[in-house]
Amino acid sequence: MTENFLIVTQKINCKNEILELTNQRAIFWESQNSLILSDLHIGKSAHFQKSGIPIPSNILTTDLKRLAQLIHHFKANQLIIVGDLFHAEYNKDLDEFKSWLTQFNNLNIKLIKGNHDRLSDKVYQQFNIEVFNKNYTENLLKFVHDFDNIEEEYFVISGHTHPGVFLKGKGKQRIKLPCYQVTKQQLILPAFSLFTGLNTKNVPENCKNYCFTNDGIFEV
Amino acid sequence: MKEKGHEPFSFQSQTWERYHNNFSGMVVAPTGFGKTFSVFLAVVIDYLNHPNNYKKGLKLIWISPLRSLAKDLAKAMNAVVEEIGLDWEVAVRNGDTPTNVRRKQERLMPDVLLTTPETLHLLFSQKKNSRWFKNVACIAVDEWHELLGSKRGVLTELAIARIKKLSAKTRIWGISATIGNLEEAKNVLIPYAGKTTMIRAKEKKKIEIVSVLPDEVEELSWAGHLGKKMSSKIIPIIYENNTTLIFTNTRNQSELWYQIIIEEAPDLIGQIAIHHGSIDKVQRNWIEGAISEGLLKAVVCTSSLDLGVDFKPVDCVIQIGSAKGIARFMQRAGRSGHSPFEVSKMYAVPTHSLQLIEVAAVKEAIKQNEIEARHPYVLTYDILVQFLVTLAVGEGFKAFDTFELVKEVHAFQYLTKEEFDWCIHFITNGGNTLNSYEEFHKVVLDDDGVYRVRSRRITMMHRMNIGVIVGEVMMYVKFFSGGYIGMIEEFFISKLKKGDAFVLGGKVVEMQQIKDMTVLVKRSKKKKAITPSWLGGRLPLTSYLTHFLRLKLNDALTPNNREKELKFLHPLLKRQENNSHIPKSDEFLVEKIETKEGHHLFVYPFEGRLVHEIMASLIAYRISQIKKLTFTIAQNDYGFELLSDQEIPLHEDNINSIFSKENLIQDVTASINASEMASRKFRDIAVVAGLVVQSQPGNKKSNKSLQSSSGLIFRVLNDYEPNNLLLKQAYNEVFDYELEKVRLQGAFQRISESKIILKKANNFTPLSFPLKVDSLRGTMSNEELSKRIERIQKQALKS
Repeated sequence: MTENFLIVTQKINCKNEILELTNQRAIFWESQNSLILSDLHIGKSAHFQKSGIPIPSNILTTDLKRLAQLIHHFKANQLIIVGDLFHAEYNKDLDEFKSWLTQFNNLNIKLIKGNHDRLSDKVYQQFNIEVFNKNYTENLLKFVHDFDNIEEEYFVISGHTHPGVFLKGKGKQRIKLPCYQVTKQQLILPAFSLFTGLNTKNVPENCKNYCFTNDGIFEV
Repeated sequence: MKEKGHEPFSFQSQTWERYHNNFSGMVVAPTGFGKTFSVFLAVVIDYLNHPNNYKKGLKLIWISPLRSLAKDLAKAMNAVVEEIGLDWEVAVRNGDTPTNVRRKQERLMPDVLLTTPETLHLLFSQKKNSRWFKNVACIAVDEWHELLGSKRGVLTELAIARIKKLSAKTRIWGISATIGNLEEAKNVLIPYAGKTTMIRAKEKKKIEIVSVLPDEVEELSWAGHLGKKMSSKIIPIIYENNTTLIFTNTRNQSELWYQIIIEEAPDLIGQIAIHHGSIDKVQRNWIEGAISEGLLKAVVCTSSLDLGVDFKPVDCVIQIGSAKGIARFMQRAGRSGHSPFEVSKMYAVPTHSLQLIEVAAVKEAIKQNEIEARHPYVLTYDILVQFLVTLAVGEGFKAFDTFELVKEVHAFQYLTKEEFDWCIHFITNGGNTLNSYEEFHKVVLDDDGVYRVRSRRITMMHRMNIGVIVGEVMMYVKFFSGGYIGMIEEFFISKLKKGDAFVLGGKVVEMQQIKDMTVLVKRSKKKKAITPSWLGGRLPLTSYLTHFLRLKLNDALTPNNREKELKFLHPLLKRQENNSHIPKSDEFLVEKIETKEGHHLFVYPFEGRLVHEIMASLIAYRISQIKKLTFTIAQNDYGFELLSDQEIPLHEDNINSIFSKENLIQDVTASINASEMASRKFRDIAVVAGLVVQSQPGNKKSNKSLQSSSGLIFRVLNDYEPNNLLLKQAYNEVFDYELEKVRLQGAFQRISESKIILKKANNFTPLSFPLKVDSLRGTMSNEELSKRIERIQKQALKS
């Protein structure tokens, strides 16, 4: 795999907050010096391996390398993770994550719990993660795991669905790409982990898709 | 048998004699001539002569591809056993066998066990299973021709190898219908040292094929959507006969035809049924029972009734549309007039004019006794991986012994030690041979050198997963008020909204809710309902059939007196000849047609849909090397179409190089998205090798946290483990089965030896017309389509 990831960004304005969408599956929020991301599913490959399904371990290693690079690139000091940080039980992938964390001296982590985050609070304490059960708000941005309804006063940022979009090419060619789904009131993040599928259904009304590849991000 | 006044056929007595003399072999006979008893009685007779050679427990293992056959066969065998006064127990074991019966069998195995390849592998996954197989005298494989061309054939080969290892004297006998490569079929089944023989019945089944012709040639739309108008010809046939089986090619068509027939002849309601793979099993069993008892006038069905129990009352078969192959045509015809000396009668109802040429081709092929070959699968690493885990779950295995065992099997005769070691590594350490996954302990090597599975969870998951039949993800369809209707692909349901009406099993229902892989519906009064399309219903014509098709076309304009199909088509063929050309068997026709729509290129290799699909992208690719063009592509079994908004730069002087056989495979690889196709092939492989956990329809316990799509795993492996053998297998299968590499090369060879004829026409020709319609089909509703077809047809007629 490539050692260095090319980071391409596109800025959008949400309730007067400037958010910088990246092609590396995370948003940089400059005014808060934070990276916003979702669905890391740490422990997924080890969970599969435990069940006798051989999934390469270096998926996590690559995901974490990419995250580290994003943190250094933006000099971020906070991660806001909107759910599904851990996939299932405590396994050796989580140990890898723990030792990965030691390279950062001042990194705040806020987690809004997702449906997969079922480990006890003690575990999250060990990782120094600040946990929110339902949501977390900062200025006019509200962070939840799975979007359920529009609230006029807030702009809601969520994950959970692993959004993707079909691009139709010439002939019968079709490709599926991950994307950010953005409307006036909400934004759905793509899954951060590469070991996740894409969901092209359940598209919110009037939504813009920002899809991306290894070297670009574009609106469709 | 003799006492009952039956004189055995000579192939039967020959089988008994050869079996007695310790031969293994294969019996080839048409259905209805008692091939079952040739082998079964051979074992019985040998036992009666040498009872001391046989020990307690399993003596005969009878493998058959179909569960439904087993029950009736067991009944027939039991009757014989009782008549002779043998104290043998004949029993069935398959997926339908209740648990208490299975436990009983495990305590004491019956003398004769009728089973499936999958169930045998499941037995191998039991603790201490080898004791059951120590005294097996014979393994019989029924309908071997059906198993041979599928991955289930490989399962059978492996099962035989293991039993042979446990009981060295086991004789192996196959039973097969006639196929093009019988000698190979025998060698795949019995690759072992020892005497082998092939016994062919001299008796032949008489088949009569009648084409059903419309009153005028114009009446049959050239590329008729469905040949709906033909229903007036079908109804009288149903009335004339006792029981008629009406074969259609897809489940979708069977639903449509069922509706058409009951609309046309409402008094048949209650005497006509619909049968296909998505109809609920209980209902299917009921229908099959009703056919046997002669309670039904007609059954609209798909390949779901190709095989199976013989229905005595069936005296007529109707094939709607093309049967796509000679063997399949004969198989279906054989479902009528079942007893040895009756004639099988088959009415062929074409859904468009050109299919009549196909009927003429089939008749010719049958006359010349040319039937398709079935090609065995080789080097299926997914099955090997599954088999190794099965052994590890059961009694455990030693690497060296198992390598020796597997190498004896036809499918793995070219397996290298490296590949075998890779498979071992894959199930012990996970994937990549360079590093191993810490938490992966599927199969563990114990200190005594035996590989075993220790985890109960893995054991359970593996047993659920044994087998190679990977369907679409199916969902049960059930009434709110209770009662199952059948199964439907998740792919289809995902496109429906609540309240949408669809047809299943001849019933119009409304979708209400989805719960635990089950679709809850209620009856609907809506007039308009969608007929579900099931994936994978589109088989290509076989190469044998296309060969005869080209021959028939060759003398289409000068038919002999007995070829009424060609005579009937004469006006249409004449028009083709006048407006363009009818290709002789040493010619290759390409038509350039310009219409309002754009510039069309029609090409007619007559090689079947799959090959045309590949050829079309290949030719598009080669043309775009000359000039950058965008094409719309369409194909059917006769040829393909390239459509562009600009003039297509193909002329007499470059046509030979565009259709050249040079650089074929390189250009194909460049012109298609091989990784996309491999990803599709990988779906089955991933399930068989245990990389994807299948959720069963109606099953409430889905392993949610283990769900992933094969597409995702394919992508991950492509990125992180490009040397994975299962990936390699996916690419191999694309080239061997999807691209039909051999057939494609053959086609280009033939083209290179033919005279290429390039014709310009001002409007659609009779040959191009079906293709045009096929390409419209994807985008339009039925109603719009038939109107549009009519319009285009009129335009064409004017010119």
